[in-house]
Amino acid sequence: MEQAQTRNFCIIAHIDHGKSTLADRLIELTGTLRHEEMSEQVMDNMELERERGITIKAKAVRLHYKASDGKDYRLNLVDTPGHVDFSYEVSRTLVACEGAILVIDATQGIQAQTLANTYLAMEHNLEVIPVINKIDLPGSEPQRVLDEIQSVLGYKASDTLLMSAKTGEGVPPLLEEIVHRIPPPKGDPSKPLRALIFDSRYDAYKGVIAYLRVVDGRVAKGDMLRLMSNNTQLEVLEVGYFAPQPVASDVLSSGDVGYIATGLKSVVECRVGDTVTTFDGNVNEPLIGYHLPKPMVFAGIYTTQAEDFKELREAIEKLNLNDASLTYEPETSPILGYGFRCGFLGLLHLDIVRERLEREFGLSLLVTAPGVTFNITKTNGEQITITNPDDFPEPNDIEKTEEPWVKISIITPSSFIGTLMELLSESEGIYKYTEYLSHQSIGDLGQRVRLEYEMPLRNMLTTFYDQMKSRSRGYASLDYELIGFREGKLVKLVVMINEMPVDAFSRIIPPDKAHDVGKAMVTKLRHLIPRQLFKVPLQAAVGSRIVAREDIAALRKDVLAKCYGGDITRKRKLLEKQKEGKKKMKNIGRVEVPKEAFLDVLKLG
Amino acid sequence: MSSDIALYVHVPFCRRKCRYCSFISYEQRERDIPRYLEALKKELKLRYHDDSIRTIYIGGGTPSLLKASDIADLLSAISGLCQLDKDAEISIEVNPGTVDQNFFQTIRKAGVNRLSLGIQSLNDDELAIMGRIHTSIQAREAVRLARSEGFDNINLDLIYGLPAQTKEAWQYSLEEAIALEPEHLSLYALTLEEDTPMQKMIDDGLMTKIDPDMAADQYEIAEDLLEKHGYIHYEISNWAKPGYPCRHNLVYWYNLPYLGIGAAAHSCINGHRIANTGNLDKYLAEFTGENSWSPELDEKISRELEIAESVILGLRLAEGVQQVILKNRFGVNIMDRFRRQIKEMSDAGLLIQDDGHISLTPRGRLLSNEVFWRFLPE
Repeated sequence: MEQAQTRNFCIIAHIDHGKSTLADRLIELTGTLRHEEMSEQVMDNMELERERGITIKAKAVRLHYKASDGKDYRLNLVDTPGHVDFSYEVSRTLVACEGAILVIDATQGIQAQTLANTYLAMEHNLEVIPVINKIDLPGSEPQRVLDEIQSVLGYKASDTLLMSAKTGEGVPPLLEEIVHRIPPPKGDPSKPLRALIFDSRYDAYKGVIAYLRVVDGRVAKGDMLRLMSNNTQLEVLEVGYFAPQPVASDVLSSGDVGYIATGLKSVVECRVGDTVTTFDGNVNEPLIGYHLPKPMVFAGIYTTQAEDFKELREAIEKLNLNDASLTYEPETSPILGYGFRCGFLGLLHLDIVRERLEREFGLSLLVTAPGVTFNITKTNGEQITITNPDDFPEPNDIEKTEEPWVKISIITPSSFIGTLMELLSESEGIYKYTEYLSHQSIGDLGQRVRLEYEMPLRNMLTTFYDQMKSRSRGYASLDYELIGFREGKLVKLVVMINEMPVDAFSRIIPPDKAHDVGKAMVTKLRHLIPRQLFKVPLQAAVGSRIVAREDIAALRKDVLAKCYGGDITRKRKLLEKQKEGKKKMKNIGRVEVPKEAFLDVLKLG
Repeated sequence: MSSDIALYVHVPFCRRKCRYCSFISYEQRERDIPRYLEALKKELKLRYHDDSIRTIYIGGGTPSLLKASDIADLLSAISGLCQLDKDAEISIEVNPGTVDQNFFQTIRKAGVNRLSLGIQSLNDDELAIMGRIHTSIQAREAVRLARSEGFDNINLDLIYGLPAQTKEAWQYSLEEAIALEPEHLSLYALTLEEDTPMQKMIDDGLMTKIDPDMAADQYEIAEDLLEKHGYIHYEISNWAKPGYPCRHNLVYWYNLPYLGIGAAAHSCINGHRIANTGNLDKYLAEFTGENSWSPELDEKISRELEIAESVILGLRLAEGVQQVILKNRFGVNIMDRFRRQIKEMSDAGLLIQDDGHISLTPRGRLLSNEVFWRFLPE
């Protein structure tokens, strides 16, 4: 087919604004699948994706459409991950497209990730077609959202489509708009091959499947190719496209979107953003600057049963085959045993990995409090990078500490500004900007406002998101992006049970919060650790300075009194139960600590 | 081979169940008492062989719900069927709300020589909270009547550690009980099972939680007070004037054999721990109906477990455990076998060891479970 009749586009949206439903409707409308063949949300094929309403791995579907000009068009719909944790993958997907459909919920209007995604599309010079979705819902306010789109994003009402992807109302005109407004792909089929990998996954039979956008040249089965970032050589075992099931074909040429099977053993070798070219060709210029997405959030992952460590290792290795951005390193904790220090793109990524490990591999996990990475210059001049709080040096050994900061953007009705600003300032946020998105008020909640702040990523990792949601009664939405490392005054808070430091509880905080955080932790522990045969001091310390202390008084009474009619068996059973209970405890500094105490304190914000 | 045993008889009837009790007893089944007495005799016939009975303990439930003549009849059946020691200790538990002079007179004549009166408290508000069917006046009256009929070995049961019970309230109860000059006192810390009405009230926030530290204070008050009045603290929960420890209960603590008859009764015979069904109808059917006796539990006690139990039970006694006694009985040196546990508990201040002998310290008595579970086999 002529390149002129190909259109490559993606759908971008804030979470739950209806991206996957619209994709389904387009697949159905173009007859790619008949209605009976549709299972809802065809493009989210991971169970977790459907449950969370987010798309984790991008995919591409080829749609055939006969336009009103009588010509047949090939529409390649490239799905994008809808979450900020995966912004690197989103940006690589956008590079594979010439246009983007921007979906905005008619009941909610512009949300934080709407903006972030739109700006990203603009940055990559994509033709954006705004659509207002969910107009069938009772609370929809298309007019208000049209105004908002015009004033905030600058798109005219006449260029914006109104629809309900759920009912199909207003969707058919979108196909015509795609054909007319999105430009056909450029690129030269006669040049040597250059194709962009925008996603990859591991298949047990065919090795790594790379999802590509061919920019120049063509690729066919049997071609010998080369990955430009690392000069890996590969043979194309299969070429094809998705409809939406994989369909093998002879060739993909410039402008096309599809896949190749590479036989490579791990997605780590074949990463998103890399450029594929001919093995012997002299093409040296990659399509786009390539870098490894850097994990920003770290946590220790352990199994609750020490003997499951082997299964955990196998599970993480398997997961890593399909998720190159997950990093892991073995780690030993005196308290928790053997585990891994894992790096994630963000909190959601952490949640997804944890859930997949538990669900797909049946593991019972203990995950330590998530933390960030710190760059530290020690007084002796040594530079170190810390991902485990327990490795944080003593205050006297630190010359300079740097930690990652994010720019965060919150969109909220104005009546919640006060409480959100309070939260942001408690989280060490620095105010940057306030922007009114429209002049209309939403009920009595006020106009919609965008707040921009900068704050340490560290403070987003515990209860920030939940607090933002609860303080705004669910109205506020959030987006953030990393803006680099900044110097910070930080110390390691250590918790000691009966004088014994507990590595898993160490956390990095500003010195002026040491007392409050320490007090909260020892107080919680005091309620969770049963009384022992001796008095147990619980202390939180920074260096040698104790910042908070609670004592657990010694147990005084544990006695079975009456012996009912010689029922010794019952007495013994109770003692056996007590003995079993003790076995389940972790022994720290002679203190028996129940596992729940760990979990609860690790969760503490 | 004939040996000495203790005989326990369980009477699973109560006029009304106390609000803290989770033990097996039935309300509104008093009409079944005659049939139950039949069953007891049949069970005894079936299960008693030729051992010599040194003590009899009739417990409950509320044994004093039985007519005095029924008790006399039961005892005469026992002495007819069994070889009963002339100087056997014969105890019965008595609820002060169920007795009169005639009752005491009759059972005294029938051979009962020790009474255990469940007075529980001498504060009427506490008795009401516990759901006892008697008042403090009835308790005093019961003691007076028993004395007048010649009972010279009387135990009083008291409960401490009640919700919101102050040290003063406890001390009052205890002093009043001492003033009644019992030969023996059993003091039990209130322990509530999940299914009891009092625990439910606590769960629903209608009653103050039990404060274990207060109970510990009250226990220490009792230790001081009873020592001053010449009582010997011979077992964790039991005090007696010299010469008056309960011989029947000592059988349990020495881990010696006993036969228990009646619903829910436990036995320890020939290296087995056996428990009868706690279901009254089932029990009745087993001995007065079609069914045959089928214990709810019949557990062979391994030698290892028997050694552990002997240590655990023996440690409940003030005299503790003599290495030589267990050496003679089992041929093992407990000081070696339990070296680690003994050291750990001595270091924690809960156990004293000297010269082939171990016993609990005063603190160890209150924390005895912490000591005991460590002696259980793996």
